[in-house]
Amino acid sequence: MADVKQAPVLRLKDVAKTFVTPHGNVRAVEPVTLDIRQGEFISIIGPSGCGKSTLMNIVGGLIEDYEGSVEVDGIQVRGCHKEVGMVFQEESAFPWRTALNNVTFPMEAAGITKEERVQRAMELLHLVGLDGFENRFPAELSGGMRQRIAIARTLAFRPRILLMDEPFAALDEQTRLLLGDKVLQIQQELNQTTMLITHNIAEAVQLSDRVLIMSFRPGRIKRVVEIDLPHPRSSKMMGGERFGQLVAAIWEDLREEASKGLQELERVRG
Amino acid sequence: MAAVEYIGRKTAFWTVGRLRIAGVIAALAVWELAGLSGLFFNDVLPSAFRILRAMGQLLVSREFYEHLGVTVFEVLTSFVLGAVTGTAAGLALGISRRAGDIFEPFIHYLAPTPKIVFLPILLVLFGVGMGSKIALGSISCFFPMALNIAAGVREVSPTLLRVGRTFSLTRSQTIRMIYLPALIPAVATGLRIGLAVSIVGCLLSEYKLARAGMGFLAGQYGDKFAIAHMLAVLIFIFILASLGNAVIARFVRLPGPGDRGSVRLAFDK
Repeated sequence: MADVKQAPVLRLKDVAKTFVTPHGNVRAVEPVTLDIRQGEFISIIGPSGCGKSTLMNIVGGLIEDYEGSVEVDGIQVRGCHKEVGMVFQEESAFPWRTALNNVTFPMEAAGITKEERVQRAMELLHLVGLDGFENRFPAELSGGMRQRIAIARTLAFRPRILLMDEPFAALDEQTRLLLGDKVLQIQQELNQTTMLITHNIAEAVQLSDRVLIMSFRPGRIKRVVEIDLPHPRSSKMMGGERFGQLVAAIWEDLREEASKGLQELERVRG
Repeated sequence: MAAVEYIGRKTAFWTVGRLRIAGVIAALAVWELAGLSGLFFNDVLPSAFRILRAMGQLLVSREFYEHLGVTVFEVLTSFVLGAVTGTAAGLALGISRRAGDIFEPFIHYLAPTPKIVFLPILLVLFGVGMGSKIALGSISCFFPMALNIAAGVREVSPTLLRVGRTFSLTRSQTIRMIYLPALIPAVATGLRIGLAVSIVGCLLSEYKLARAGMGFLAGQYGDKFAIAHMLAVLIFIFILASLGNAVIARFVRLPGPGDRGSVRLAFDK
């Protein structure tokens, strides 16, 4: 029992991926090895095309054909797994379901009784700050509210690990900051192990315990930055000196990779 | 309660509804004036009152109901047959990329072809009675149904399907909880166009060669130059088609704003 407790919630061992295309093989992710502790919030940051979404899809089970292994609580998993919940960048709320019925969706699929799933969904809507909106349809809500529905829906499955793939990318800057605060508050409240994919440095620093910087293609973990800002945190800390130092340090590493990505893009287009 | 308010329109006198009624009244007035002007042969543009009287006469004649019954039966049968086969074909084309690549161009090219050209063949195959009418109506209904469903299947949001995968939905759950509701708008469009063209198919073939039905009746009145009666028949057809359309619009739709969560889909238990 003690061993299980000490084991990391999520362990990636030499996870790598090569895509086979008609134009030859593309190495998307070089072997990545990584341990994530219970309750830890980590961000993976990198330029477009660094394979961060590929890595997330491997952990989330949407890509099943890869090298290496993914372990949850010491047990190897492959394919979609109820211990791993995902939130996507794109609109993902079911437009024909109310906020409440969106959140109950995974519980319906799992065969949980109506009473329990409604109760749990109401708690989750409260958690993400959508009290009073449970009978609204996504079309009646803002982008930030719809993304909060998606987060509540994913949490309804009580995943050990919450994966978020640029969940705020489609939102405006102010909504993004406020939603970041909300996510952090929820993560602290539930002690939810969370992995966030982002290309926003400030967002990564604001939210994370550790930031993993990925290199441009093929993606590998170039550097790990420990974020030693104290909790509770909020977007108000963005003006702080330490915050600025961390952002600058990450950008230092990231700039080189981002310019490689840009050059590659210009080469392909030119 | 409405999510969208049309600012300033509430107090305006010319609302959409009123403009619509005004349009109908204006069209009727033009019709009456043209008829009264004497520029046309007598009876080409019968007055609206004569058309109304003809409608009344039809409504009290037993013969009218026999023709009406024949047409309603033909249309409903061909609508159901065409919708079911069209749905099946549309699903197959949408789900199997290969089937879609091979067969969909043919369906696209056949879809706008006037199906009435097949009537001689259908008359030989199914006879002068209701069989050939139902066949033509079904063929007409099949195409819009199949094309709409095939497009609908392909347009199901990949993100919603990924959400389903991350929640480990079974195959049947994916169909019931994602594909079916996502397809409802395509089904509704297919049904509405399908109903319209199956009505056209049945009536045209009745008009061409038949012993009964609304198309046959309109044709007979036309031959006798009883224009008021012919138009009366057409107005009844119009009313029935509108009713059918309204029924589809009312029942084949997704819950959305305005339902306040009270409407649940049968398959979303």
